[in-house]
Amino acid sequence: MIETDRYARQILHWGAEKQRTIEESSLLIAGVGGLGATVSQLLVRAGIGRLYLVDDGCLDWPDLNRQTLYGEKDVGRAKLPLAKERLNQINSSTEIVELPGRIDDSFLLPDGVHGVADCLDNYPSRFSLYRATQPGSYFVHGGLNGNHGQVLTLLAGKSQPFDEIFAGAVQPEGTIPVTPDNVVIIAGLMVNELFSVLWKTPKLLDRCLVVSLDEFNMAFLDI
Amino acid sequence: MLKIQFFSLIRILLKRDAIDIPWVEGDTVQSVLNKTQAQISTPFLHKLLDEKGASHTGTIILVNRKNILHLQGLQTPLSDGDVLAFFPPGAGG
Repeated sequence: MIETDRYARQILHWGAEKQRTIEESSLLIAGVGGLGATVSQLLVRAGIGRLYLVDDGCLDWPDLNRQTLYGEKDVGRAKLPLAKERLNQINSSTEIVELPGRIDDSFLLPDGVHGVADCLDNYPSRFSLYRATQPGSYFVHGGLNGNHGQVLTLLAGKSQPFDEIFAGAVQPEGTIPVTPDNVVIIAGLMVNELFSVLWKTPKLLDRCLVVSLDEFNMAFLDI
Repeated sequence: MLKIQFFSLIRILLKRDAIDIPWVEGDTVQSVLNKTQAQISTPFLHKLLDEKGASHTGTIILVNRKNILHLQGLQTPLSDGDVLAFFPPGAGG
C-alpha cells in the first residue's frame, strides 16, 4: 500500500465522489477541547480539505481524560497550536487555519466555510457562533453532560435560530461532569452528521438526537 | 389529547418517554404540568421550577417545537393535539 491508499477503506464504503467532496470542503471547528479534539481528528483522518480551528484555552490536567489530541507533556500549553501540530502529523494534506480567541458577538466566520461544528462548552459562545453563521450554512451542534448528550443540525437563515431553541438553557454552576466515552460518542455522531452535511444530506436537520448512555437510549426531538 | 414528551434526565427520572393527557379548554403549560405530575405520581416539578414557577434548571420546554420563552411562558395556551417536550440539554463540550 502507498500513501494514496490512505482513504481506501472509507472509499470502499462511501465511494470516490463523496471522498472528493470531503477533500474539497472547509469546516470551522469551534473549540478544540473534548468534542473538538476528536471531531477535528476524525475529519483530518478522513481527508477534509481545510479546517478552521477556534480556541482560546490552555491544556489542564482535567482535560486529559477526554481531549484526545493531547498528552501529559502538553499541560500548560495553548491548545490551538498543539492541535494544529498533532493534526498535521496525522494528515499533512489538510490545511489547518488557527483562529485564536474566544467566540463572542464580535466573531466573524471566514468566507468559504461549508459548515460549522459547535464543539463549545458554554451557551453564550454558542449563541454568538450561531449568530455569526451565514444564512445558508449548516451548523452542527453537540453538547453533553455526564452520560447524556445531544447533536442537532440547523440551516442558518432557515431553521429556528439556535438561541431561540435553547433560550433558558442556563449554564450549570460549577464544573460539568464529562466522561471520555460519552465525549467520543457525541463527537463521532457529530462527525457522521458533518459528512452528511457536506454531502447535502443532513440526517439531523431540525431534529435533535438525544443520547442517554445510562440506558443506551437514543431519541429524536423534532425542533 | 396532548402529548407530553420527556428527554434525557427527565425521561430517566420519570421512567417513561411520553404520556398523553386529555386536553381541556383553557389548558396552559402550567396547568398541564400540574396534571402531568398528578398522573404519573412522581414529583418532578420541583426539579424544573423554582418557588415562583420559573424554570431554574436549564430545562427547555417546547410546545410544537417552539420554546415557551418565545411564546407566553408557562401561561402559553394549549390546543387539542399539541405536543409538549421537556428537554434538559447537555451544556458541556
